[in-house]
Amino acid sequence: MTTVGPDGEVEDGTGAVDRRRHVSDYFRLERWELPATTGDDGPASMAGRAPVDDHQRGPGGGLRTGGLLTSLDSLGGFTSGLAVLPRWIVTTSLLATVSELAHVGPLRLRADVLRRGRNSVVCALGVVDEGADDRHVAAATLTCAVLDPDAMTLEFERPFALPMPPPQADPVRPEAFFCIEPGHGPVTRLRLEDQLRNPWGILHGGAVAMLADEAACRATVAAVPAATGAVAATDVVLHYLRPVKVGPAEARCTVLGTRDGRTTVRVAIHDVGADDRLVTLGSVTVLTL
Amino acid sequence: MSLPGYPPPEHFLGDLGLEVEVTTETTARVRTRVTPEVRSPDGGVRVGVLATLVDIVGGAIAARVLRPDWMATADLAIELVGPPVGPWVEAQGSVLRRGRTTLVIEALVVAVDEDGATTSVDGRAADPVAWASMTFAVLPAKGDGPPVQPAAELPVRWAITGGASTLPVLDALAVTVLDGAAGRVSVPVRPYLHNSFGAVQGGVVALIAEAAGAEALGAAQGHDGADMVVTDLQIAYLALGKVGPIVSSARVLATGPDGRAGAVVELRDAGADDRLTTVANVTAVPVGAARAPA
Repeated sequence: MTTVGPDGEVEDGTGAVDRRRHVSDYFRLERWELPATTGDDGPASMAGRAPVDDHQRGPGGGLRTGGLLTSLDSLGGFTSGLAVLPRWIVTTSLLATVSELAHVGPLRLRADVLRRGRNSVVCALGVVDEGADDRHVAAATLTCAVLDPDAMTLEFERPFALPMPPPQADPVRPEAFFCIEPGHGPVTRLRLEDQLRNPWGILHGGAVAMLADEAACRATVAAVPAATGAVAATDVVLHYLRPVKVGPAEARCTVLGTRDGRTTVRVAIHDVGADDRLVTLGSVTVLTL
Repeated sequence: MSLPGYPPPEHFLGDLGLEVEVTTETTARVRTRVTPEVRSPDGGVRVGVLATLVDIVGGAIAARVLRPDWMATADLAIELVGPPVGPWVEAQGSVLRRGRTTLVIEALVVAVDEDGATTSVDGRAADPVAWASMTFAVLPAKGDGPPVQPAAELPVRWAITGGASTLPVLDALAVTVLDGAAGRVSVPVRPYLHNSFGAVQGGVVALIAEAAGAEALGAAQGHDGADMVVTDLQIAYLALGKVGPIVSSARVLATGPDGRAGAVVELRDAGADDRLTTVANVTAVPVGAARAPA
């Protein structure tokens, strides 16, 4: 049995992995629940804050988009989960617009539940750059499917709050943290190491987002003659169709075209070890800087 | 697989003049002629019109795949990739996943010639016009049979025609700008823009979001809304807009290094206690910065 404790820690019987916090801690995401204003029985909103550490900055100068999406997935997913207790959620789609790539930091995030249905929860997410006079730098919509948590016991002290984790003593780049194999061209692989699994035991949605970001950028550099310099992912659409259970996760990219310096890349992610089934499909817009 | 009595003779979809073909159990295509009424400010096709094609092609597939259940659009994302270089634009849809509660569909929008072939440029297929994806929520059948029985033989084709409007599409929808800087536009709800539930059709929702986003983003950059080209829409459909008018508001995000900017647009049903019906992320670029179609 897996238990989630009051600080969000996970005890899975092995004592080895804190699956709920491992990924969000890498981005040092502080989270706190906002008081409900509607008198409803579920949380309406949560907020978060994360610094932009130097080793996590991308070619655009700020937190690279895959990292931003990871924090959005963490905050939006948790907010959605709290909204449906005692059941829990998995992310099914993430639609994100990133309009500013050069962040000063820290970034402040907010998640608001827009609709809580029997089978799904929709959450609106926004990001402002506190270091740049609260400029709105990104917006997203996250949809989650509501699931029976089975043996997973969910216990939280309410209102929920989690402080900002300390800086890593030995920081690694996001590509290394997410076990993305070096390479170039239209195909990029991620090794499914155990620490990248979420409490459901499947690959964390943020890891999928980072893989899509990295894969789309590599595909653009390989296919677009004008992309000779740095490139960076901006807008992202991801449909999480099935969980990544076995791995490796392989992102196969198709460059659809380039318009005004922005390249649209279709990204299909397959779970190679699970009969190569399609697990995520989406698109990434890559900006040539 | 048209619905009996839908759309009515005077309808937005009829004015677009859609040709629909369900090609297999899990694929379909929908096309419309590129006319002045659907042009965007840079001479392309309005992304909201393309979103309408995607919504219809998705619906055509979903009606067959989900029978006897029915569906409602939950989300739709579309992004422009290249200019429409053919006389027609066609959305080609296919199923990605059919789950217990949702159906996910992908659609590629391409330019096609009069004979239906993909338009060629310099001897090779032109770039796609747009890429899109959408999620339908499955609505379980209520025991009295599906709203429509799909034809058994494939392919099956039908047309949605009969429209007589020569107005630009936003004028035909009666979009009124209340406050451009705030992204406030208003649209009355009437049968002309209904879906099969008697609420605002999903493609019309996309066009309202497009108009509202263009107004807000144009004002933020010192332009008129008509000087902005919306390139991307990410739409979450939260509730039906049945009473009207539908009134929008927008929050503008930071402007990117290439002049492209985003906004979050909300649509509310003013006649239904201002119920939030839609949230859309809208991305646009000034006309001068957009590549003119070939």
